[in-house]
Amino acid sequence: MNFSLTTPTIVAHPYNYLLFKGLGRIIMSDSEARTAREEWGSRFGFLMAMLGAMVGAGNIWRMPFTTGENGGGAFLVAYILLLYLIAVPGLMAETMIGRYTNNGVIGAFKQVLGSKRAQGLGLVVLIVNVALMSYYAPIIGWALYYAGHSVLMTFTQPGFQPQAFWDGFINNPALVVGMHTVTMAGLAGVLVFGIRRGIERVVKWMIPLLVVALVAVSIRGVTLPGGMEGVAFVFTPDWGYLTRGSTWVAALSQALFSTGLGWGIALTYGSYLSRYDDVPLGGGLFTAIGNTSIGLLAVFATFPVVFAFGLEPSAGSNLLFISMAQVFPELPGGSLWAIVFFVSFFFATFTSGLGITEVAVTTVSEETRLSRTGAVLASCGAIWVLGLPSAYSSAFLGRMDFMFGSFGLPLATLSIIALVAWKFGPERARVLDLNRNAGIYVGSWWNPVVKYVIPVVMMFILGYGVYSSIGTANQRLMLLGVAFMGALVVVSTVVMSVVGDEPPSGSAAVPGGDD
Amino acid sequence: MALSTLTWVSMLVSLLLLPGVAAAVLVRSLRTEERKLALLREQGDVDSYSPRALSDLREWIRANPDDPYAPIARRRYNECVRSLRGIDKPHYDWSDEQIARLELVDE
Repeated sequence: MNFSLTTPTIVAHPYNYLLFKGLGRIIMSDSEARTAREEWGSRFGFLMAMLGAMVGAGNIWRMPFTTGENGGGAFLVAYILLLYLIAVPGLMAETMIGRYTNNGVIGAFKQVLGSKRAQGLGLVVLIVNVALMSYYAPIIGWALYYAGHSVLMTFTQPGFQPQAFWDGFINNPALVVGMHTVTMAGLAGVLVFGIRRGIERVVKWMIPLLVVALVAVSIRGVTLPGGMEGVAFVFTPDWGYLTRGSTWVAALSQALFSTGLGWGIALTYGSYLSRYDDVPLGGGLFTAIGNTSIGLLAVFATFPVVFAFGLEPSAGSNLLFISMAQVFPELPGGSLWAIVFFVSFFFATFTSGLGITEVAVTTVSEETRLSRTGAVLASCGAIWVLGLPSAYSSAFLGRMDFMFGSFGLPLATLSIIALVAWKFGPERARVLDLNRNAGIYVGSWWNPVVKYVIPVVMMFILGYGVYSSIGTANQRLMLLGVAFMGALVVVSTVVMSVVGDEPPSGSAAVPGGDD
Repeated sequence: MALSTLTWVSMLVSLLLLPGVAAAVLVRSLRTEERKLALLREQGDVDSYSPRALSDLREWIRANPDDPYAPIARRRYNECVRSLRGIDKPHYDWSDEQIARLELVDE
């Protein structure tokens, strides 16, 4: 395989005029104009893209109930502690290795690990990412369908039956596959324009609108009669929960998985940062805390409504598509609130879809001879095909979520963290790149966190997933998941041994993208 | 329904530690970019490490002279020192005395 032979573009990042000044000393060694990998057009665009990628369906239908179910305020204490302790340093590590290597997942592993076999771990991250997207795309399709019907004011029509509406949709294969198709076409339509003119242009208005919409729905919710009961359910602390292992496991899972650590997104988006950009403040702190803040807004947007109308708070995805849909006809101005709610939910899922799919697009365009357009079509086409069973069957989607959410994602996260912490080395990463042009100084406390704490936590979560499945209906699926992930590592290693690029000879250390 | 004091405290602390911090970080990040861009337009160059970060890098280079990444580290260190010597207004909190004490390392 070869690096991309695509036509390089002259990038228009605000820092890039400096290519002809300071940085140009290094890179403009020949007479050609500087052509480079694309970069983010603005800091705001990068931050919104990171936030949009990490905020997804889970923030809106999972975090509110997880919080209320695990001791409310007590859960939040555990969660916030783990968020700052683990998710923030982990995202710093992932974003940093992306910026340092200026490569997608396989390219980053290739550059740092240097052996063909080891590149297989990059392939593992890519495959897990594609698998996750294959069943996330149909969910975006659901959100799109509901957003569309909210605009058509379906939910406030006389005689509207939310359960019948949902059943009619989800049991109609042509409709769900059609929405899955429209979703992938929409994602491809944005991604084909690239980072700056595609992703950035979209997220810069979708994410602020999402925040405004959630705030508006929250205000409406807490001012409903009985709405404050939902707030009390979520925030009243029951400190006894802090002594329960299940509370900490729930907080760990939420802190790690809902922040997008280990999906390859932070690595990929980080690879489009310029040398002058900061990593720890934006890629780490803002992404993790901003993501959770939107989860908190979702708490205010859903739970007051849930309690005001006496709905079942543990309904998960049904909470949105069935329970919430039945609320709007009873609200004054319900049509408008339905539009605000469902369109913002669609924005949350769509921007995540952009981030997840871009991981594959970047890697395919780097590792094959395909152009950006070709890579978008290949990646979106593959995800569309692989997503058909999940679109067709919600049960299949659930099994995919269990296998890849419980075992694939921890494996991918371990791979990325191992790359930074065990191969590159945390101290080397910190002094050489993480603190370079950084908005905040990261001290040596970061080293043991990424080298020991995060891997141990990931191993614990993997082990807990196995342990808690024994003797349950999921036992067979768990065994299948573990076997599949083991086989994935072996096969990926063998495949990359055969088709991977030879690492550069000579120096063991390959310079970063700016060196 | 009236919320208990504990619930109010729990809610307000959560709002402070999550959306409050996120908003503050967003503003700081955007302001930092603005300042960096202004310096770059004005001077054509900007320092890439803070005093503490450059000190860490120097210590690491001294402790790991034969590390495979040492040449990259030395290059980045010297690049920052040269930038600091060539500009009037550093981005980070460098004093003139600190800059004067900096020395290039052998590449």
